[in-house]
Amino acid sequence: MLADVPLKEEVVLVRIDLAGDDLEPLLERGIVPGCRLCPVRHAPAGNPTVYRVDGALVALRKETASCLCVRSGLEAAGVLDPN
Amino acid sequence: MPVRTKRPGGGGGPGPELSAGVGRASGEHDPGGAATTSDIPGPKPAGSGQAPGGRFPKVALVGPPNSGKSTLFNRLTGLRQRVANYPGVTVEQRTGTAPLPAGSVEVTDLPGVHGLSPRSMDQRVTRDVLLGRMDGAPAPDAVILVLDATRLESHLMLAEPVLALGLPTLVVLTMADELGRRDGALRASALAQELGVNVALVDARSAQALEPVRRFLSTLGRETPTCPVAPTASSPAENDASDPTERSLPVVDLFADRRQRARTIGRSAGFRAPRPSPVTHRLDALLLHPILGPLAFLAVIVLVFQSIFAWAVPLMDGTEALVAGSGEYLARALPDSWFRSLLVDGVWAGVGSVIVFLPQILVLFFFISILEDSGYMARAAVIADRLMHRVGLQGESFLPLLSAYACAVPAVMAARTVGNERDRVATIFVAPFMTCSARLPVYALLIAAFIPAGPLLGPFVGRRAAVLLGLYALGLVVAVITAAVLKGTLLRDRPTPFVMELPPYRLPSARSIAARLVDRTRIFLRRAGKIILAVAVALWVLTQVPRSPEGGAPEIGDSALGRIGQVIEPAIEPLGFDWRVGIGLVTSLAAREVIVGTLGTIYGVENAGEESMELQAALQRDLDFGSAVGLLLFFVFALQCMSTVAVVRRETGGWRWPALQFAYMLALAYAGAWTANALL
Repeated sequence: MLADVPLKEEVVLVRIDLAGDDLEPLLERGIVPGCRLCPVRHAPAGNPTVYRVDGALVALRKETASCLCVRSGLEAAGVLDPN
Repeated sequence: MPVRTKRPGGGGGPGPELSAGVGRASGEHDPGGAATTSDIPGPKPAGSGQAPGGRFPKVALVGPPNSGKSTLFNRLTGLRQRVANYPGVTVEQRTGTAPLPAGSVEVTDLPGVHGLSPRSMDQRVTRDVLLGRMDGAPAPDAVILVLDATRLESHLMLAEPVLALGLPTLVVLTMADELGRRDGALRASALAQELGVNVALVDARSAQALEPVRRFLSTLGRETPTCPVAPTASSPAENDASDPTERSLPVVDLFADRRQRARTIGRSAGFRAPRPSPVTHRLDALLLHPILGPLAFLAVIVLVFQSIFAWAVPLMDGTEALVAGSGEYLARALPDSWFRSLLVDGVWAGVGSVIVFLPQILVLFFFISILEDSGYMARAAVIADRLMHRVGLQGESFLPLLSAYACAVPAVMAARTVGNERDRVATIFVAPFMTCSARLPVYALLIAAFIPAGPLLGPFVGRRAAVLLGLYALGLVVAVITAAVLKGTLLRDRPTPFVMELPPYRLPSARSIAARLVDRTRIFLRRAGKIILAVAVALWVLTQVPRSPEGGAPEIGDSALGRIGQVIEPAIEPLGFDWRVGIGLVTSLAAREVIVGTLGTIYGVENAGEESMELQAALQRDLDFGSAVGLLLFFVFALQCMSTVAVVRRETGGWRWPALQFAYMLALAYAGAWTANALL
């Protein structure tokens, strides 16, 4: 789960456990399976967390981040996006 | 950073068809070889003279939020722009004319969107406008797609459905300077080749940015090519995102594929993603710091309020002196007649007493513009999200609610960006509790009259500023409680995700801030000019009839206005208000700040003969401290704004919500004022 990833560790998105209208705002911003996400910092209250994705900063609440299934960026290296 | 444009090359591709189509139009209709700035090879571009039917060629600006779209729009149109609503819906339609050497072009700035699926009202409007499905708005003749070059790959996802529309398109990639500064790279010519349309890499804030856009616009002839461009990366699933009923692929795959194609195109165009902005990183470390972040948040809010109240004063004094001086001049210059009384005691006193507040409103908008344009507003939303979440609202609701501090009407419209319907209605319902700028004149008048000036917390937070801040906070607290209750009862719902983009910090441009301030001034003066002027004249007439036995103006208590006031007095007597304030409350149903003008007119007429009596002094005479606080509370709570009621009716599709909202807010207002009057 993305919510459990420690700060500054890059991961690759595998699956999004959301549906329909909840899903599209993420997809439209390039948060699609295969993209790289990196938690940059938490908001002062600890939640939401700011992630770097596709060169942009996007804040997601913990509840949303819990619906994003990820794997570590190292495992995925070479599989997707060799750059 | 050089500005590059390139026609797509290669034979038989979609590009040459575009130039051929435009060229044909130009050959026939070029108005006397008018000078154009174009140096595009190929057939001579057309002068963009008026199209058949007497209208200018129409161009739509499309792009994601924060892509520099509005900056470009302001650059193109300058002050020749107007804001209206699309028929039937309330998404703002900003249009303006861009003067070009060869003739004008009508430019429309569409709402910032990430896609064309009809998920939110903004996206639905954008799609309908582009498809020509919007009533009264024919499809644009061309599209300018504005994308952020630093985020090329994800923004290219929007390019796909837009290019699929088949309209002549120019892709403007903004933030060229930032891309270069952060070691990113991109070959615009290669991207043009990939996309099959013109591409310009620009810095939207520099004057240079206009050149490729102007060149593109001047190629728009009378006969626009019908379907010149096909997207290079087409797939059967492509158009499906714009119509959910036709979706064949699961939506995730659709977007994942689109993202992959965007990546491929980016690679072919030599796109190298820029490094993360070090400035943004360092500022975020400070402004989202666990301790310093909230402190900075509070400091920003206090700074805004202090500046509204303390630092706008010299400007207000100046305006006041101007209004008073010109009024006295008129009174001396004109012969004693009913006309002088109407002009000086009615119009000048009424309209003038409201105009005095223009500086404060401009100071507020100055700060809001800086906060928005600098990128801090999104950070504020992230900091405030816990609060919003506890209330059951979305982070998305934060921006509409924050803009309600300026005016509830655009805020209610801005709630369209809230995807979830129940959250949208809850946001609309509580938006009028946010202290809009129309309340400011009322607060300012009453605070100045009843709260002594003086420091409260050191030299930077005065007592009056603190009271003002308290009134703002009270509105917020009641909004929060109301939202929580609504979301727990009438609008109960499961939570939906929160996605908030944090744009990089940027230095706000003086030009865009100035454009907004001019916009606000216009709106404010138009209101003062129409509603307040009409009310002032009507009130003046009501103070003049029936004529006294001697044939002159009656004592104000005997006038028609006084009698009306006395009829409503029993209803407001428990609140400690006299009939003059009662009249003010009635007229303020049109718009809150009208009460100031109304009182200005009433006291102006009443005291026309004597030494001109200051509005503040008159109020101190007629209200005690408790009823003054009551009046303040009344204005914190009551929904005295016909424009808001009208827009809420339209936005919620019926009278149910605005009626409930009005009744609820009036009940709170009455209870609040009654309590203050009874206790203080």
